[in-house]
Amino acid sequence: MCDIIWCKKDFEGEPCNTINYLDPYCFWNWEGTINCAECGAVYYIHMIQGKMYKGPEERPGEKPDTSPLYADKPLDGYRFYGAGVEGRTRPFECLPRDIYLGVPDMVKFSIRGKPVRGHRPQPPSAGIAGSFGFDWNIKKLSPDLYEEYQQKIKNGEVTDW
Amino acid sequence: MTKDPRVTRIEDLPGPKSKEELEEMKAPYEEYCKAQFDPGNEFSKPQSLKGIRWLSTTMYIFTPHSVSNLAELGADVIKVEMPRMGDPMRHCAPFNETYLYPLHDTRPMTGTGMGFLNANPNEYHISMDYHIDDIKEAFYALVRMSDGLTQCYRPGTFDRWKQSYRYLMEINPRFISVWGGGFGYGPKVFGGSYDILGQAHAGLASVTGFHEYVGGHPTKHSNWNIDWYSGTQITFGILAAIHWREKTGLGTKIEFSQVQAATRCLGYAAPLYGRFGIVRQRWGNWDTQLCAHGIILCGKSDYPDAENPQDRLEARYAMISAFQDEDWKELCKITGMKDLYDKYKSHKERVEAEAQIEIYAALEKWAADKSRSEVVKICQDAGLLAEPVMNDREVYESTHYRERGTVRWMDDPIFGDVLQHGSYSAGLMSKTPRRLFWIWRPVGADNVKIYHELLGYPTSKIEEWYAKAWI
Repeated sequence: MCDIIWCKKDFEGEPCNTINYLDPYCFWNWEGTINCAECGAVYYIHMIQGKMYKGPEERPGEKPDTSPLYADKPLDGYRFYGAGVEGRTRPFECLPRDIYLGVPDMVKFSIRGKPVRGHRPQPPSAGIAGSFGFDWNIKKLSPDLYEEYQQKIKNGEVTDW
Repeated sequence: MTKDPRVTRIEDLPGPKSKEELEEMKAPYEEYCKAQFDPGNEFSKPQSLKGIRWLSTTMYIFTPHSVSNLAELGADVIKVEMPRMGDPMRHCAPFNETYLYPLHDTRPMTGTGMGFLNANPNEYHISMDYHIDDIKEAFYALVRMSDGLTQCYRPGTFDRWKQSYRYLMEINPRFISVWGGGFGYGPKVFGGSYDILGQAHAGLASVTGFHEYVGGHPTKHSNWNIDWYSGTQITFGILAAIHWREKTGLGTKIEFSQVQAATRCLGYAAPLYGRFGIVRQRWGNWDTQLCAHGIILCGKSDYPDAENPQDRLEARYAMISAFQDEDWKELCKITGMKDLYDKYKSHKERVEAEAQIEIYAALEKWAADKSRSEVVKICQDAGLLAEPVMNDREVYESTHYRERGTVRWMDDPIFGDVLQHGSYSAGLMSKTPRRLFWIWRPVGADNVKIYHELLGYPTSKIEEWYAKAWI
């Protein structure tokens, strides 16, 4: 459950109609100013134990202390500002790194530099699943990976731990 | 040496010559333990459950883990998965991404997610759509040759498919049949189960996390704690059933409701309510029984320049324990909380809720200009118990875990270099340690081994079933 600031200020000739979400983890006991993610209007709120004690009151001209976690425009086909949109919503320090954005990352080597063999696409020489259950000879079956591995050994990039 | 070689004299034998010398020659306890457990050398030792064969028609973490415990101790476990698809856990977590390829020989571009790790090691992976009548014969053949089965379907499903205990005991009276699932028989029989349900329904989540007074909520543990925990509880049941069968020759039916698992670790919650009518509440990183004995937030990160946000921003928590009067006095001395010491001299006073709120706020204020390791060092130098709250990377770097083999690298026969922190749920065992042969295998990778080599079906039959997607 989370409180909101529904911004209805005029923005580019129309009501702004943006819902700014105030997540309880940040705003549970909080006093200060927040910007609207769409029009940038600044509001003051004071929350105590998750209840809106004061506000939201407009504070034109003030610099916002923080931004909402995210915001959307439900009357506008759910136009949406996610977390971490610069200048609009609060920066989210734990944003996934680019490798976590939906495309499997083909890791060929573990963090200590040894080959991780179950990457794709497997070359046809690797055979069907389970064909080489107990001895996946990378020199024979994944020669390109083997070459890369030898290079890593030469460069001293392979460690024990 | 005596003249007569048939005479044995203790002086001529190697080793200690007297009890005193024996005592002297004993290795220090640390060395003794290292030699006894010898992490990394598990494969030279016997396996305690060798000879047990177990079937697993399980999914996700909870029921698979009950069986993987057996497999790591040496049982032959046959994991039966749906043809070409496998355990749904393969397609989940984390980030709904797959990492280890291939899933199955018809799906070379699909893989298995890391969430599958630790729940299915050392098992033989076969595929079978066992609710089809035509394949029942093979299923029953496996039952005849096995000691038990763990399954996780809704109550009554296996009975409808004629695979429940009362059917299987007719073909194998020694058979141990395990059902693990949500609620079990009773008013909520049709409820399924997930770890979060187990945490919520038994009351565990209601006592986890901070009180609402300080902005907390009932909290679920981030990992699927109750899945791992209740899986291990089932393993206890299985081992007891095997022992009972040795004495009586008869199997058992085990019914394990996951929503009840957490009642075992809720400690005094029920007795407290029964005696006083008090409902136990959350107290977060502090302790209802001891103070100071909690986790505090320090001002500075240990790794301010790290790229990873878990290091850069979150390496700021320290666990501190100083609840005994002398320790408390020392803690107040090193933190300069003299007024708090005067105010809360006895443990009874400082364990009160209001006192704790004041004490931990003061401790965090003291730690506000210090890093986590500074706080820990100051406390440890003063003889207090304090440790940093470590993240996974630090656990990996920790020499304690490394020396004991709790975290280790393994060269998986199919998937290559894998970092493992499993294989520890029975602790270290000197004679019959747990071990990892492989982390898992692709769907149906052992079809030929089991259907052909174990059950004796001709390969033509296997090919036919495979083409029909029965296996």
